[in-house]
Amino acid sequence: MGTLLVLIVFALFLVAIFTGGYNKDLKGLLEKSTVWDWLTTVDHKKIGILYFFSGIFYFVVGGIEALLIRMQLVVPQNDFIVGDTYNELMTMHGTTMIFLAAMPLIFGLMNVVVPLQIGARDVAFPFLNALGFWLFTFGAILVNLGWFFGNAPDAGWTSYVSLALNEYSPGPGIDYYVLGLQITGIGTMISAINFLVTIINMRAPGMSFLRMPLFTWTTFATSALLLFAMPPLAVGLLLLMFDRLFGANFFDYTMGGSSIIWQHLFWIFGHPEVYIVILPAFGIMSEVISTFSKKRLYGYTSMVFASVLISFLGFMVWVHHMFTVGLGPVSNSIFAVATMTIAVPTGIKVFNWLFTMWGGEIRFTTAMLFALGFIPTFVIGGMTGVMVALPPADFQYQDSYFLVAHFHYTLVGGVVMGLFAGAYYWWPKMFGKLLNETLGKIHFWSFLIGFHLTFFPQHFLGLFGMPRRVFTYQPNVGLENLNLISTIGTIGMAIGVLAFAANVVLSFVKKEKVPNDPWNARSLEWTIPSPPPAYNFVQTPLIRGYDAWWIEKQAGNKSMKPAEPIGPIHMPSSTFVPFLMSLSLFIAGLGFIARENFAAGILGLIMFFITMFVRSFDRNHGCHIEPEEFDQANKGVKA
Amino acid sequence: MVQQQNQSSRGRAVSDKANREMKYVISFIFMILLTAAAFYLVSTGAVAEHLILPLILILATIQVFLQLFTFMHLDQKGTAFYTIFIIAGIFFAAVCVVGIVLM
Repeated sequence: MGTLLVLIVFALFLVAIFTGGYNKDLKGLLEKSTVWDWLTTVDHKKIGILYFFSGIFYFVVGGIEALLIRMQLVVPQNDFIVGDTYNELMTMHGTTMIFLAAMPLIFGLMNVVVPLQIGARDVAFPFLNALGFWLFTFGAILVNLGWFFGNAPDAGWTSYVSLALNEYSPGPGIDYYVLGLQITGIGTMISAINFLVTIINMRAPGMSFLRMPLFTWTTFATSALLLFAMPPLAVGLLLLMFDRLFGANFFDYTMGGSSIIWQHLFWIFGHPEVYIVILPAFGIMSEVISTFSKKRLYGYTSMVFASVLISFLGFMVWVHHMFTVGLGPVSNSIFAVATMTIAVPTGIKVFNWLFTMWGGEIRFTTAMLFALGFIPTFVIGGMTGVMVALPPADFQYQDSYFLVAHFHYTLVGGVVMGLFAGAYYWWPKMFGKLLNETLGKIHFWSFLIGFHLTFFPQHFLGLFGMPRRVFTYQPNVGLENLNLISTIGTIGMAIGVLAFAANVVLSFVKKEKVPNDPWNARSLEWTIPSPPPAYNFVQTPLIRGYDAWWIEKQAGNKSMKPAEPIGPIHMPSSTFVPFLMSLSLFIAGLGFIARENFAAGILGLIMFFITMFVRSFDRNHGCHIEPEEFDQANKGVKA
Repeated sequence: MVQQQNQSSRGRAVSDKANREMKYVISFIFMILLTAAAFYLVSTGAVAEHLILPLILILATIQVFLQLFTFMHLDQKGTAFYTIFIIAGIFFAAVCVVGIVLM
């Protein structure tokens, strides 16, 4: 009944919009409001900021889930959170952190920075960019709705079958996971294609591939990975959806299905996924280290080569997540060797960062501190990675806390530290204000110390035999002290994140604006005002080499050489269609999860096709900003 | 004189365009024929059962190439990236198939 009511109201709302049966003044007011502006924007910087803040929100949500998990594990045989609730927490912690925190944070920075770094005025498909964001948002809400209606997903972030099938996971929990991730996945796929096309086609004159900043390169590699890695996940989720909702038997071995297929499909996606999140962090590190060492990035070409090689090898190694499945010694050894080869390009990167700093004029800003903390932390994670890549040893490590420690060293020590470095580095470009350095240093030190306190003991917990994903452990087997230390460490990380939150709030209160180039940096985004105007570049710049802006500064120039005369600039128009499209897919997803009959789900799909129809016959080809309007349009993104 | 040349070159451009359009029509007809042939093979059992699968796979391969070159315009210039990405995709797919089926 409630669902029906919501749908009727929504249908009336749609009819009103499409027939124009509304009050013209109200419409004018609505279109001028800030909320409408953000809901309909196609500006890559605003979409980037939306992505970034959604990412921070889910990072905090996932962080709270992690704190609850550690609270439960602080003493043996604790009964704070047990059984199903614990399973839901650890499942949602993993799912949230990977799909709903790391991915949008990365897409946020990519959206804001990449078009600026290649001298473009927007991404290639601004509409798709907005669509990607709204699909992500609604998919993310759908995954989390399980907390409030029914039960949250509880089969682990990998959602292995047969556990994830109806028989062993009754209730809507896994349905939220399947349909929510399917919707965010479509958005991710769209954004990846968008970035590939943008980087291939929209570089400024003179910006050849080997003059692109490294963050743009890693974005390119990441997008290519996403292009090939998302389809297997989509297929896997689709099969699981058919098994759960429509009674298919793809994964039910009693009916001739195969549960191993899910593991293959998931890890063919899942392993590239870890490179998808770490490669942009590598790019951020390269930019930050090069800028704050005041040196050209050492071995630029080999860095590019290493990025492409990592993304290529990323597809050859997924079976190392399945060593203990029993695929046989030949399979295991081939994939073990392939896995160990990835240490080579990663090693190239680490040494190049060290050589970039060698003899450089290092400034210890917060961004640089995060980059410096990243290197040893990530190297520890990489080293344990090689350890678990050995099949005989992996039989001992698997499903123990050693694994948990390993991937938190790479994902927190790698991705999260990289993203914090990127946040401090590009914050002035995004909002025109600097983050406070003192608070930033408090953030860095408490986060770094807290992180190592939390996860270093977990290596030993794993070696002492503590299994992962189990909500308690026995006393008097030597696990108490290390678990206690691990839980104490989370306080440090929490303080760090709180310091960051305070810093963000303070930066919005602060009045003083920053100049174009607060860090004395090297790439193109620092040649334009902070925050940049809607059209980014008044005139498309001419690129004369790698580190384009640094070259001009060395030549004594105050700005880039323009590659075109001043003229009207073509910009895409805002549109509310992406929001409606995503909303209708959200309704469809919810309808299918509700089961009963699939009426609401089908209604949502019909709405989706209507919005696609509206989009297909949309004759709005954008607008022009005339040179006289440049000053007015120069307000940029509101902080 | 110049005008004439312009006109004749425009005339050639028009006939080029007509040629190109004919090319699409012809390859489209071929695609339909190939699809129909596949259906015919499967539905009527005109050939021995163990030959059907290889035969329709061969027909499908021809179809893929026709589509790549006419509809995806791989015969034109500036398609290096498409080629790279298609080859990479085929390679990754092959690795996955080998990894799952043979290992």
